[in-house]
Amino acid sequence: MEMSKYFLQNKSALLLALVILSVLILNSGAFAAASMNPMEQLQQSVNEILKILQSEELKRPENNEERKQRILNVVNSMFDFRKMARSSLGQSWNTLTPEEKDTFVGLSTSLVEQRYIGKIDSYDNQKVVYKKERVKDGRAIIYTDIIDKDLEIPIDYRLMENQGKWLIYDLKIENVSLMANYRRDFDSIIRKEKFSGLVEKITELVEKPETSN
Amino acid sequence: MLLLMAAFSWAGDVKHSSGDKQGEVSEIQAEKSLNDPGDNAWEEEGWEEEWEDSATIADPLEPLNRFFFHFNDKLYYWVLKPVARVYSGFFPEDLQIAIRNAFDNLRTPARAVSCLLQGRIRKSSEEVVRFALNSTVGIFGVGDFAKDVLGLYSSYEDLGQTFAFYGAGGGFYINWPFLGPSNFRDSLGMLGDAYLHPIILLDAEWGVIIGAWTFEKVNYTALTLGDYELFTETALDPYAAVKDAYQQYRNGLIENR
Repeated sequence: MEMSKYFLQNKSALLLALVILSVLILNSGAFAAASMNPMEQLQQSVNEILKILQSEELKRPENNEERKQRILNVVNSMFDFRKMARSSLGQSWNTLTPEEKDTFVGLSTSLVEQRYIGKIDSYDNQKVVYKKERVKDGRAIIYTDIIDKDLEIPIDYRLMENQGKWLIYDLKIENVSLMANYRRDFDSIIRKEKFSGLVEKITELVEKPETSN
Repeated sequence: MLLLMAAFSWAGDVKHSSGDKQGEVSEIQAEKSLNDPGDNAWEEEGWEEEWEDSATIADPLEPLNRFFFHFNDKLYYWVLKPVARVYSGFFPEDLQIAIRNAFDNLRTPARAVSCLLQGRIRKSSEEVVRFALNSTVGIFGVGDFAKDVLGLYSSYEDLGQTFAFYGAGGGFYINWPFLGPSNFRDSLGMLGDAYLHPIILLDAEWGVIIGAWTFEKVNYTALTLGDYELFTETALDPYAAVKDAYQQYRNGLIENR
């Protein structure tokens, strides 16, 4: 008997097949992240970054590019950069054309990456303590401490669930929210030099070779 | 529909099978309608979609503040940083940490008084114990014996936070030469805290006071080399960014402890 005919004639077999199929799909790798709570997921990403940072092999000058790229790959999978770009502009976001928005997302992404990676990099042999998580309606806050030179530096993350994956959209380092800080910073430029001035300034900044530390 | 049901039953299974602590925590939080102990009181209050901006801080002295910001910036790159680098060559990190602890220990009397003024008797007495133990067993405070052995943490209180506790707003922004970002309230607080610093209580000469302050500053810079550069070089208007960071940082201290 042909398969489709068999299913049409036997409804319970069809149901069974659907159940098996759905379980198989949900069990596949693509959905594995959904089963992880936000803290486990953050922990995994941060550990991955720390592993790259601490690798002696990658610390060699000739591997500099690869090291940077590998860190970037992890960071890119952790953050919701579009949401962050929108958040950092506040009201001004709505006045932009779609092309301007895309350009801006790219630019602000580089800026945030620079600051976050630079910060993490300076803690390359420090311990991270995951203190607490709060989860509510697809959003989460995770409280961590980095033990740096015998002091606890609090770093708190804000995450949002997006297609089964928890993405960071803001973080606080020692009580200072990255997004709130960039909002003030960007606003100070926009007021004087408009959006075009802001784009010019960020372009200049992210195209500058490595910072001087 | 069937797919959804399958998804739910599957997700449920996973949650129950993950017996680790974190899994349990998230489960409790997801189903907060069940028994909700007082520990989870934060679920209902203090939850915002985003971390809100702090209120705009008045800055009537902006031109002067910007001038001193620039001055401090140059002071950092031209003097403080090179000196701190040389200093690091002679003083290993462990020693720098010990020196930082010793200077921090000297601020304990001021912290104890601030805790007391805020009616936090327990925290205040902890500061007294910290001072007594760290100054003796911890040898002039180089070791944080009270924290490492007894788990007594510093309260991080100061007079500026105490004023805020009694409802004082920050007032306008001040970027001091040498001292850096502050505001009207915290500047007054700094002055008050200074009077409770042992070096002032012991009536030391100005030369000694300035020498000690410079030493502390160089030591601190050596321990945090790179932080200032990273922050200001990833900001578009570093002055505005530092001003906001100062305000957020202080608000955090006032709210948290």
